[in-house]
Amino acid sequence: MLKSLRLAALVSVITSLPFGLASAFAEPLKVVASFSIIEDFAKNVGGDRIEVTTLVGPDGDAHVYEPKPTDAMAMSKADVVLVNGLHFEGFLQRLVEASATKASIVELTKGVEPIKMKEEHEHAADDSHADHHHGDIDPHAFQSIANAKIYVKNIADAFCAADKEGCDAYKANAAAYTQKLTETEKDVKAAVASIPEDKRTIITSHDAFGYFEHEYGLTFLAPEGISTEAEASAADVAALIKQVREDKASAVFVENITNARLIEQIASETGLKVGGTLYSDALSPADGPASTYIDMMHHNVDTIKGAILGS
Amino acid sequence: MTDACLTFRDLTLGYNSHPAVHHLNGAVKAGSLTAVVGANGSGKSTLMKGIVGVLKPMAGACLNTRNARIAYLPQQSELDRSFPARVVDLVSLGLWPRRGLLGRFTKEDREEVSKALKAVGLEGFETRPIDSLSGGQLQRALFARVLVQDAELILLDEPFNAVDAKTVSDLIQLIKRWHGENRTVMVVVHDLELVREHFPETLLLARRPVAWGETKETLRPDNLLRARRFDEAWHEDAPWCEPDHGHGHAHAHPHAHDHHHHHEHGEVLDRPDHETGPRAA
Amino acid sequence: MYDFLIAPFVEFGFMQRALAGSLMLSLGACPVGVFLMLRRMSLTGDAMAHAILPGAAVGFLFFGLQIVPMTIGGLIAGVIVALGAGAVSRFTVQKEDASMAAFYLISLALGVLMVSLRGSSVDLMHVLFGTVLALNNDALTLIAAISVITLATLGIFWRAIVAECLDPLFLRSVSRLGTPVHFIFLGLVVLNLVGGFQALGTLLSVGLMMLPAAAARFWTARVEPMCLLAIVIGFGSCIAGLLLSYHASLPSGPAIILSAGLVYFVSTIFGTRGVFNTRLRRHRHRTA
Repeated sequence: MLKSLRLAALVSVITSLPFGLASAFAEPLKVVASFSIIEDFAKNVGGDRIEVTTLVGPDGDAHVYEPKPTDAMAMSKADVVLVNGLHFEGFLQRLVEASATKASIVELTKGVEPIKMKEEHEHAADDSHADHHHGDIDPHAFQSIANAKIYVKNIADAFCAADKEGCDAYKANAAAYTQKLTETEKDVKAAVASIPEDKRTIITSHDAFGYFEHEYGLTFLAPEGISTEAEASAADVAALIKQVREDKASAVFVENITNARLIEQIASETGLKVGGTLYSDALSPADGPASTYIDMMHHNVDTIKGAILGS
Repeated sequence: MTDACLTFRDLTLGYNSHPAVHHLNGAVKAGSLTAVVGANGSGKSTLMKGIVGVLKPMAGACLNTRNARIAYLPQQSELDRSFPARVVDLVSLGLWPRRGLLGRFTKEDREEVSKALKAVGLEGFETRPIDSLSGGQLQRALFARVLVQDAELILLDEPFNAVDAKTVSDLIQLIKRWHGENRTVMVVVHDLELVREHFPETLLLARRPVAWGETKETLRPDNLLRARRFDEAWHEDAPWCEPDHGHGHAHAHPHAHDHHHHHEHGEVLDRPDHETGPRAA
Repeated sequence: MYDFLIAPFVEFGFMQRALAGSLMLSLGACPVGVFLMLRRMSLTGDAMAHAILPGAAVGFLFFGLQIVPMTIGGLIAGVIVALGAGAVSRFTVQKEDASMAAFYLISLALGVLMVSLRGSSVDLMHVLFGTVLALNNDALTLIAAISVITLATLGIFWRAIVAECLDPLFLRSVSRLGTPVHFIFLGLVVLNLVGGFQALGTLLSVGLMMLPAAAARFWTARVEPMCLLAIVIGFGSCIAGLLLSYHASLPSGPAIILSAGLVYFVSTIFGTRGVFNTRLRRHRHRTA
């Protein structure tokens, strides 16, 4: 009698263990982020409950990225896939089909007010890559912190939909992070305000900062247009140099993802020094000055301010 | 042997370990005019290539004892007819042995090129592009190049192919002129009448040398018959030719087909054939 | 007129450099292109653009995103591919087009493998290939050096290069220069291509090498004038292309190549040896 009781107790303990374990150690939500900025947002919202894989890592150029088989594998195992949308990721469609993923593809620019391309550029695809369509919309919506908040909200919603249990945690994290973003926005606006109005035009490699310009009042000019794939024309370069000469542009910057040569050429011809590196489409590696989104914003605006005021 | 221009010592030349010229011995006298004859596949072109040095011997050696300058007219040239060159450019290539890579062409050089063109009947053809020449004209231009080369040993591989009778007789005159200038000349010819008429010496090849010497002797009917019987094909199952196998070595070895009794080695050329019946064609 | 043709170059330093760089490249690359075309190796340029990847990758692996190590690495890879393909075609039964295809494909695959293993998403080629509008002093010096080396080598070995194309068997029978000259020529090809890629990008580099040569073919039947004409066409295309890029806001590389392309089409139809003159026009004929 005692023996069978003990046996029953043992059996019930053994069978209830998995359930206990399940609630204590929930499987992390598998998330795939298309590039490093989204990865940062996702980590801030998801915390320990998620496991993030990133396709285009730090210093990577999503405009010309070619996916690898490991990317397809990660996609197929994912629960949630977070992408920018607005044709930022040219490689996405093929990757989704190739991986046959059952995850939901979440476009984080849903709800963002898109801005059209800046100027009329003739875009010619470089011969080394397949043709990509850019349409007329500027995809770099994340350069505006107001939009970043929308991204964060969309991420929280997506995580909630995939993992109802953690929904409270996600919402709390999102709220806290959004608060930090608001603080950062204040810093950015203050920095811009400290730059004299007639010195607020600068030159970068490609038109990545349209939303920043729209939101915070600096003017960005670039020879390469919306995508790093396009080739500049002599007229574009000449126009930029004229701008500097007529004292209409005050500083020149290279970007972490592009070939610096064109900017250096403009700088040397106009006598301006290259003011520093801006982070436009990707974060820096962990040991760099822009390894998180908030750091990136601070770094960019401080670099711009420093170059303009210092000159 | 002091007046030999070329010496062959047990020379074997071939492709893919099959011999095309098999154990050739002998010497070519300086200043001689020799016709090289034989059926198709008997090794004549191979021999020319071996003498020039384009083909390395599989065994034995070919010695250019006086270090004579060689002029070689191949049977099928690797000439790129579509290359934009004029006749004068082609013939001027013959100046290479004298002028090399950087030497300037002197007035005498240019005159010599003109003279050579005249000698082959191509006077006035200097500026014609080579893709506008007929077969015979191109052949004559190549002869002109050989003239310009001014060589002591001249090798011509089937120079009379696809050339009209008048050109043939003109070229024969040139060859005789060379012979008169005491240059050593070897010419591969198919037309035996031409050989009998113009060439004092003849080498009759059938992979192995069948006969070599004065034309009348070499082109005797029994020699010609022997040469016609040689085996043109390559045999993948033929035994390897060992260096100590010489003449007079007769031993039976397995034949893949027994309707022909041609031994691969050890055959002495002056032994009468011992076939039991006519050889199957 | 002045405003249209001369003013852009006077006003802007980058236009002067673009002009200087592209003209200098034409000096060396166009004659090399003529010989490439005559030897039926016209697609070598494209093959080379892919073949240099493992060299650049090795440079990147050891030195990071620095231009000089990557260019040197690319040069070495290009030389290995060109000489390897040349050796195979010279000493075996295989012909040059097949051996070149084999070598460049293997090289490209190796390069992709190396870049993938390193796990970086930086597009190496994007960084390595330059643009004619951004020629700094280093790039100009590189192009100048390549031009000088090319012209000097062509000048010294001219006779042998022509002989090697025209009648290689003859050259072999009178000289031992045949094989070295073959490889020296391939070396020149790699030098011009890799230097061109780094300074001006692939399209411009390969295009400047092949298009003027292809166009010159229709105007003359001798090699020397063909080379000179190719250089002149190259010069013209660079000037026209840069002006188009300036006045019509077209991307610079394609503008130069399309100008050369226009000359090519006109030459095909109206050149002395073009369609019109050889096939369509009814000539009078002489009595002899």
